[in-house]
Amino acid sequence: MAEQHGTDNLVVLLGTPTTDSSQLYAQTVTEGDPTWAGPLAGIALQLPVYHVLDDEVRRQFTANVADEQLAMAELVLEGEALSEAVKAVREATTPGGEGR
Amino acid sequence: MSEITVVHYLNQFFAGIGGEEAANLPIQVQEGPVGASRLLQNHLGAQGKVLATLVGGDNFVNEHQDEALDAIRKALRELSPAVLIAGPAFDAGRYGVACALVGHVATHDLRIPSVAAMYPENPGAALTRDVILVPTSDSPRDMDRAVAQLARLALKIGTGGELGPASTEGYLPRGIRRPGVRVKPGYERALEMLRAKLAGEAFATEMKVVGYEQVAGAPPVKHLQNATLALITTGGIVPKGNPDRLVRGGAKEWYRYSIEGLDRLDATHWDCVHRGFYIETVKENPNYVLPLDVLRQIEGQGDVKSLYPWFFSTSGVGTAVLDARRMGEQMGSELRAARVDGALLVAT
Repeated sequence: MAEQHGTDNLVVLLGTPTTDSSQLYAQTVTEGDPTWAGPLAGIALQLPVYHVLDDEVRRQFTANVADEQLAMAELVLEGEALSEAVKAVREATTPGGEGR
Repeated sequence: MSEITVVHYLNQFFAGIGGEEAANLPIQVQEGPVGASRLLQNHLGAQGKVLATLVGGDNFVNEHQDEALDAIRKALRELSPAVLIAGPAFDAGRYGVACALVGHVATHDLRIPSVAAMYPENPGAALTRDVILVPTSDSPRDMDRAVAQLARLALKIGTGGELGPASTEGYLPRGIRRPGVRVKPGYERALEMLRAKLAGEAFATEMKVVGYEQVAGAPPVKHLQNATLALITTGGIVPKGNPDRLVRGGAKEWYRYSIEGLDRLDATHWDCVHRGFYIETVKENPNYVLPLDVLRQIEGQGDVKSLYPWFFSTSGVGTAVLDARRMGEQMGSELRAARVDGALLVAT
């Protein structure tokens, strides 16, 4: 995707269930796969990455879509902790952090 | 310094081949670094060269140990590296066991020094003293630091260097004591430690006592009147006749039994299996350990919304910490999935 479309208008949304897995995937699309198992090892795409339960992201869905797609996940997942975990990686690894 | 030769063992995932669907993969010998070995090669730099990556599926190595280790032995004889590196395996049990077995084959059978990395509670960590073990966290997020440490120790032992004590070199203690002479005699060192302790200063003990793990309490249930509660017991309550054959101690399993429609547990239908306390009183009245009678009253008064229709039971005596943790996680995930708000675990 990044090769095909370039990285300028690409945002990655994660639906990962734990802070640990969220940070692993966030690192994978920013500074490269930290496990070095996959094709993104050593490749720093520096894509802006957010958790799908992040308020900033959630606000951009219509109420119908949010209810249908996210309401269940919100009940069982710690949305705020997941958003913060992804934010920490995003701000540490992408140039300009939030503003891109 | 001349370049040392390294062979790296990885499982199917860290070699970039696949996850569980590839866990039956037989041993493969791949030339040069692949997957996480590329990171190892970066850390070795010009001082070391990954000749080959040995890859084994986690299931294959654990279920066909002889065949897998024969293939490893054959590959290591042909490649004849200065050092074998395995992992990091983090908290992956099958992978940790595989790393320990592969390292043991290298060092014990073929006299090739070996170093592996894993979480200290990984079952592989207890398998062999032949392999130097680098401790890692339980998550692959620790990859870079762990591989850097693997590379550092490998360069040392691969060139015939002697490792210092575990605490200074950063590997797990193997319980090996070496005779030596300290600069100061024991009584002086003991007094210095005592003085430092009384003054609130840092000191390094020479007799490490492993402490208990601290488990943070769960947050309180906010609105009990709207809450569904589950009952859990480590007091060994089972249906009469103990149909699942719960053991009296050292349990590795737990069982779930229905309390739907029951107001209390009566002695004709329920029993107690436990070797850690006097159970005769509980055999006469099982509600002492699993207080269903009182909880039904509380439920009837509307002080809690409902009770989860199953209770979970095991006998909590002599169970290994790792088994207890696994059982707790299994119970927790069922309760979480069923949207239970809290669990009551009555002490015995």
